[in-house]
Amino acid sequence: MRRPTDVVARYVDEAGSMNSSASTPLLSASRVSMTYPGTRALDGVDLAIYPGESVAIMGPSGSGKTTLLHALAGIITPTSGEVVVHTPHGAIAVNALAESERSRLRREEFGFVFQQGLLIPELTVVENVALPLLLAGRTRATAEAHAVEWLGRLGLGGLERRRIGELSGGQAQRVAIARAQVTGARVIFADEPTGALDSVTSTETMTALLEAATEDGRALVVVTHDDQVAARCSRVVRLRDGRLDVQAATTVSGASA
Amino acid sequence: MSSMTDVRAPAPGRLAPSRRRAPIATLTWMLARPSADSVSTLMLPGIAFAITTALLLTVAGGGVMFWNWPDELNAATYQVLSGLALALLVIPLASLSGAAARLSARRRDDRLATLRLLGATPGNVVAITVLESVMVAAAGALVGVVLYLAAAPLVGLIPFGGAAIGAASIILNPLAILGVIAGIVLLAAVSAVVGLRKVVISPLGVRLKQSAPRMSWLRGLIGGVVVVIAVVVLQSFGVLPDYTAVAVAIAATFAVGVAVLNLVGPWLIWVFARMQVGRARTAARLIAARTTLEAPKVAWRQVSGLAMTSFVAVVGGTGVSFLIEEGGPANELALYVDVRTGIIITLVASFLMVACSVGVNQASAVLDRRDLYVGLDRVGMPREVQEQARARAILVPLCWVSLGSAALGGLLVFPLAGYALIVAPTSLLVIALAFVAGIALVALSLVATRPVVTSVLRSPERAQ
Ligand SMILES: Nc1ncnc2c1ncn2[C@@H]1O[C@H](COP(=O)(O)OP(=O)(O)O)[C@@H](O)[C@H]1O
Ligand SMILES: [Mg+2]
Repeated sequence: MRRPTDVVARYVDEAGSMNSSASTPLLSASRVSMTYPGTRALDGVDLAIYPGESVAIMGPSGSGKTTLLHALAGIITPTSGEVVVHTPHGAIAVNALAESERSRLRREEFGFVFQQGLLIPELTVVENVALPLLLAGRTRATAEAHAVEWLGRLGLGGLERRRIGELSGGQAQRVAIARAQVTGARVIFADEPTGALDSVTSTETMTALLEAATEDGRALVVVTHDDQVAARCSRVVRLRDGRLDVQAATTVSGASA
Repeated sequence: MSSMTDVRAPAPGRLAPSRRRAPIATLTWMLARPSADSVSTLMLPGIAFAITTALLLTVAGGGVMFWNWPDELNAATYQVLSGLALALLVIPLASLSGAAARLSARRRDDRLATLRLLGATPGNVVAITVLESVMVAAAGALVGVVLYLAAAPLVGLIPFGGAAIGAASIILNPLAILGVIAGIVLLAAVSAVVGLRKVVISPLGVRLKQSAPRMSWLRGLIGGVVVVIAVVVLQSFGVLPDYTAVAVAIAATFAVGVAVLNLVGPWLIWVFARMQVGRARTAARLIAARTTLEAPKVAWRQVSGLAMTSFVAVVGGTGVSFLIEEGGPANELALYVDVRTGIIITLVASFLMVACSVGVNQASAVLDRRDLYVGLDRVGMPREVQEQARARAILVPLCWVSLGSAALGGLLVFPLAGYALIVAPTSLLVIALAFVAGIALVALSLVATRPVVTSVLRSPERAQ
């Protein structure tokens, strides 16, 4: 993977953060815009994600939340603007990477939880969680042992040999969380992870996600419609028609400095 | 669905309720007209029907040719042998046409759901589905006829009875061609209705079974016993009194063989896949083995057409090679050479059909599971790993089945096979090459479905 060192690594976080703004963000986006034919999905968004924080992205349907998440995670290339990932090995300009390099970046630096778990139905629970480690070149035994540990932490001990079809929605979502965490990803992206769950299960799932994803200086970025979910994050950013709604962010977020 | 959220236009005024019935033809055209993803939704089933039609016509043409075989050229023998070849080709041909019909019926599930949301009656939905399937099948079948006519000169180069058979000999009369087209269209219509029933029952394209299928070891036991009996019977062939008894024994062995294979095949695939799951070291191997284990019967059905053909190719091929080497009267030698040609053609045709149905099945499997493919791509699973898993899930059972059946055939005629290998190495080499070419053909059809994955990844269903 290319690791350009000439990329400017400092951006000011407009909405403020619990962490010192002087510390290096894990991820920063500057003036990111995304245009689809006939639609401006993102319009000059600036956002930085710092170690240890959890950021909720809120906004009405169609306001660009998913597009922003995908741009931050290198799933799509924005029409303009820059996304920089700061790894221990240096800063990486995501837009400059080739498709296969971005795939590798997502695999190695990020974890993902989607609304539906998108787990492989033929594999067992433990195999699904071990998959990212197998892809990273670990042996099957190491990968599965590590996966078992994560499943235990997320309260899924004893379900290792189950098939995905045998799980409840909340369990499947926790398996997806384990899969997102297992490689030690530094940023976890979640797009409406509790969207398909009832409120009790949703709370449990969010607890699991928040606890695991933000320790050791890692961070969580979660798109959500749910005020309760957002209230548990350390920061809330709001989108409206593809723009960051700075005013709303500062007034609504209970956790901002 | 997503298009509904994109409507930016001001809300239109109220329309007076219409008393006219929904114009089926207009709705069908609206759903079927060329669009960005029409390649995956209309072209693929069309191509599948075209290939099915072309192969069906060619095989039928060959059958008719032998029916009209001149009497002075041993007509009865040719007819029996070509009947055997046709019987061998029925299984892969049936599974190919089934695959084409399934692909055509399955791909419009979500649009049908949209239609129902928009208030189309169930009757409308059925009519639109059937109409669209029928049109795609008819168009595909017409292209298939063109393919068949275009390929005829090439097929005509195949030598039988000492000379190239010529393109004209395998061309069916127009009425028969029309009959084949009608059959294909009918098949598409029936599959569309059947497929629709399934959509009504389960709107989710991806099957998520509660428990993995299990296979009883009894299948293995029964298979083993029958194989032992077959060996004993085959050993006694030499002492059978006359030709009729031999013919009956061959027919019985064939029938029993097909039955046993269908019993044992899925079980063997299940056993091997379980071993592979345990041994898998890489993600691709693990996913491939689990995919096979998930549906051993499906994996078997897809390649089962090769089991009998491979078996017959080795047994028959060995016998004929041996006889050719032995020498004899010119007319007998010519017959043996023709039998060898027929065996190779049947083998290659079986592989060709399996390759086509693998391509069609894979295309519909990828479309069925597009969400999963897109999701795995997003979490950073390398494209190559996805392709490897897909390829292994097909090619590994394919090799087990074709090479396993070939090995079994070799075992049954072991002393003869060993001898033929020494005295007639070229004949056996040609048959071995047919196997290699066949497996390569299937691998090629897998490569041909890569653009489907590319298009699914490039234009994913829009996220909420
Ligand atoms: N692949 C795409 N092609 C065209 N337009 C898109 C695409 N993805 C999203 N959009 C449009 O971009 C806007 C923002 O979409 P999205 O980020 O999915 O919103 P949200 O997640 O906030 O509901 C919407 O108007 C949507 O229709
Ligand atoms: Mg969204």
